[in-house]
Amino acid sequence: MEDSVLNSNSNSQSNNRQTVPFNDAKIIIGLEVHVQLDTDSKLFCGCSTRFGEAANSQTCVVCTGMPGALPVINQRALELSIRTGLSLNCRIARSTKWDRKNYFYPDLPKGYQISQFDQPICGPGHLDIQTTEASGQPRRIRIERAHLEEDAGKSIHDESNDRQSSKIDLNRTGTPLLEIVTYPDIRTAAEAKAFLSELKLILNYIDVSDCNMQQGNLRCDANVNLHIPLRGQQIATPIVEIKNLNSFRAVERSITFEAQRQFEGWQENGVTIADAPKQTRGWNDHTQMTTLQREKEDSADYRYFPDPDLIAVKIEETQIKQIRSQLVQLPAILRELLVKEYNLKPDDAAVIVSQGRGVVDYFLTVADGCENSRVANNWIGQEVLRHLNESNQTIQQYPVSHQQFTELLKLVIAGTLDQTRGKEVLNAMVEHSISSEEAIKQLGIKSVDNSELVTLCETLMDENQNVVEQIRSGNEKAIGMLIGKARKKNPNANPGLVKAMLSKMITG
Amino acid sequence: MPDTPEQPIVNQVARLARIHLDEQQLKSSGEKLEQILGFVSQLEQIELPKDVIPFFGAIESVNAIRDDQLQTSVPREKILDNAPESDGEFYLVPPVFKPTDS
Ligand SMILES: [Zn+2]
Repeated sequence: MEDSVLNSNSNSQSNNRQTVPFNDAKIIIGLEVHVQLDTDSKLFCGCSTRFGEAANSQTCVVCTGMPGALPVINQRALELSIRTGLSLNCRIARSTKWDRKNYFYPDLPKGYQISQFDQPICGPGHLDIQTTEASGQPRRIRIERAHLEEDAGKSIHDESNDRQSSKIDLNRTGTPLLEIVTYPDIRTAAEAKAFLSELKLILNYIDVSDCNMQQGNLRCDANVNLHIPLRGQQIATPIVEIKNLNSFRAVERSITFEAQRQFEGWQENGVTIADAPKQTRGWNDHTQMTTLQREKEDSADYRYFPDPDLIAVKIEETQIKQIRSQLVQLPAILRELLVKEYNLKPDDAAVIVSQGRGVVDYFLTVADGCENSRVANNWIGQEVLRHLNESNQTIQQYPVSHQQFTELLKLVIAGTLDQTRGKEVLNAMVEHSISSEEAIKQLGIKSVDNSELVTLCETLMDENQNVVEQIRSGNEKAIGMLIGKARKKNPNANPGLVKAMLSKMITG
Repeated sequence: MPDTPEQPIVNQVARLARIHLDEQQLKSSGEKLEQILGFVSQLEQIELPKDVIPFFGAIESVNAIRDDQLQTSVPREKILDNAPESDGEFYLVPPVFKPTDS
């Protein structure tokens, strides 16, 4: 009897589940971002953090966990963490301590990772991200905490190796990481990507990390589950932590995949967060799927306890003030500046700011110098960025100084050079590292005075009387033919001026 | 064998520590753990004023901090000497296939 009740009950529930459309499910996403801090030496010892050196050439008794070795915290790692915390509007701890997170893995020589359990260096904060929402309002993603910890080494699984062993390189062991943890405030895969892009940009601006994802300097785990409305109730699916996310694209795609997988799983078996523990799944870039790695260990399984080898760090108000006073302007402030003070469209401002502080400064100097921010944006946003992109150069390596660029734009704005000739001049300046003046000389560009222009127009009218008639009888577009011919006769003649003069002479 | 109340914890800790305990060791570890937990619960009964801040080490000083400066690492052949097995470049360990923690 009880069985049949249960069965019919679960059947009807199953039927109910089938009627819920996927789009009704809310995706709940929280991110854990590991950022490698840009220090010369490791977190607790003087070994180098350089990437790509010979295996096991950068280790010592401290980072390989020899008995009796004493770790000592790196000042710069603390400073970079505080700088990051302030940039993410976090509360900075006045007292912070170190804990051991115990687990066994061959690339973790001590058998524990030094981390921060209950007194992270940075407390709650937030980061506002731009979204494509119709309101145009930024979305605020709250940050729960950011704590310092040491990285593990690398395992190399050589399948060709018939001895059936794995190789361990401990160079990376002990490299400083800041783990930034968000609240589950992110609602779409695109928002997750937007959050990471903005975070990466900020970390670049404040010189905390180069965030090179290929080298693993920015790594991300995503906690994902669904909230599904069913008969007036919210059903939550089990939380899954997705690991191995080494690119923004992987973050986006894995979340999209996981949401769909969880939805289908729930429709099939109805398993909710109350029935299943947190799972760890790995993202596979080849199959574009997540696969089960293990049931997540409880926090208690890591048996955190204060590291007796290390003492607490007190952070003084004066130190925080000093770091705050040295903070540079953040991307959001600069975007606002470009929109409000320089009249750029939000998208154009975002492009300039996304290129880093160097390009922003270049733009600001040129826009101020030529007194036309719209022209400066058109030329820098297109010509300069295209060149940097194609040549894989930074703005510091760009052959045209901001003074030279300003001079060129002044000539364009004054009409001395038209767009086409202006670009020819710029190409010559880039190619030969010469001034605009020299480039103009080299290209044989001479300014055309008014009387030359009049003569040119008269000649054109004489030679093309049928076109002139067409224009007089109302076909204004025909003037384009004359301008094309003018260019052939005298490439230095500004087409805009030729057009104005021709239409004045023809139609009065 | 009469189980101590701590027996499941001993099994769990042994599993996490990747060590195998035989019957006898399980029993004695359970007894030791019971003593330790008893001692701690005794400590927990001490009534402390509310404003006492816990401290986490035997040393009361703070801020042992070093500058971000490089020091010479230990030569590879010397550090690899400590390994049960190596190929002169890497530590060699039994095969592991699924990296799970970062
Ligand atoms: Zn070291």
